[in-house]
Amino acid sequence: MKYIFISIFSLLLFSGCNKDPQPDAIVEIVDSCSNSSIVVSDIKGRKKQDGFMQAQVTGSNLTSSYFKVEYKVVWLDENDFTIDTILSNWTDMPAYPNQPFYINVTSPNAKAESFRLYLKKEGKIICNKQLN
Amino acid sequence: MQQTIKLVASIVLVGLIFSGCGVATKNIDIHNDKEASAVMGLDYRDFQGAAQTMVQSLVSSGAVNKPGGGRYVLVVSRIINDTMQHIDTDQLVKKIRVSLLRSGKVVVTTAVGANGAEDKMAMNSRKDLRNHEEFNQKTVAAKGQMIAPDLSLSGKIIQRNITVDRSTQQVEYYFQMSLTDINTGLAFWEDEKVIGKRGSNASAAW
Repeated sequence: MKYIFISIFSLLLFSGCNKDPQPDAIVEIVDSCSNSSIVVSDIKGRKKQDGFMQAQVTGSNLTSSYFKVEYKVVWLDENDFTIDTILSNWTDMPAYPNQPFYINVTSPNAKAESFRLYLKKEGKIICNKQLN
Repeated sequence: MQQTIKLVASIVLVGLIFSGCGVATKNIDIHNDKEASAVMGLDYRDFQGAAQTMVQSLVSSGAVNKPGGGRYVLVVSRIINDTMQHIDTDQLVKKIRVSLLRSGKVVVTTAVGANGAEDKMAMNSRKDLRNHEEFNQKTVAAKGQMIAPDLSLSGKIIQRNITVDRSTQQVEYYFQMSLTDINTGLAFWEDEKVIGKRGSNASAAW
């Protein structure tokens, strides 16, 4: 009986020391943002330990041609107000034939609590999703 | 009468010809400037893109996260313009500075710099006003109040011109930046962005 108490006490003690070092994934969706040439299979967001938010988007080029996709991430604070930053300008990235592509971006400051993703190809919006 | 008509017609014709020659001036929509084709030199779009890449790289690297919290003090060192163009490197650096300041992780000192104080008034107002009998000395900045920088941001913009064939040239621009810990002299972060342009030999890249 004494050993059981000691074991439980030790477990409680050591679990208290372990301050979760892993950032928490706060949002994760699999959505149907797609057209005939692109499909977005996953949009994730997490708050990192330094307070900055990180977003990752996974998509695929379904065609056998190379093209560029353009994306923009608008960062929002806890009250859903946009955060003014040059990081929210349109950016292009390569989408190689029949291959996945990844967009990995970090928020401009620690006030970001959610984000809105815009994805377009040849000037046409394919994805316009907000993650809360 | 016929002469008058001819004269008026000539004036109208000349007016029409010359009005067709001029390019109308209009403001650029800097948020969606797809209308104009790329230029061989560096324009605002290139600086915007380079600054965006550098800031994204910096914030995601964690190099500006001070252990234990608080903010780093940053000084902007030399940004060397090794291109054939007359560039004020502040076109790049200012965007980066503003973003870093807004990140809440960094404050920038203007009291020191590679070529002396960036804001000379910060230093001069102390020297000139200290012990000046016209100024209330309680309102003059005290000695030993300035904060020395922790980090130094330096960089270089390089240009390479390559002849592709008799009519085509290629111009490559390299934006290189480093963030150095002044205490140890170690670079906490470095990155490079390359912008390549290919066009007519007739275009000047300066």
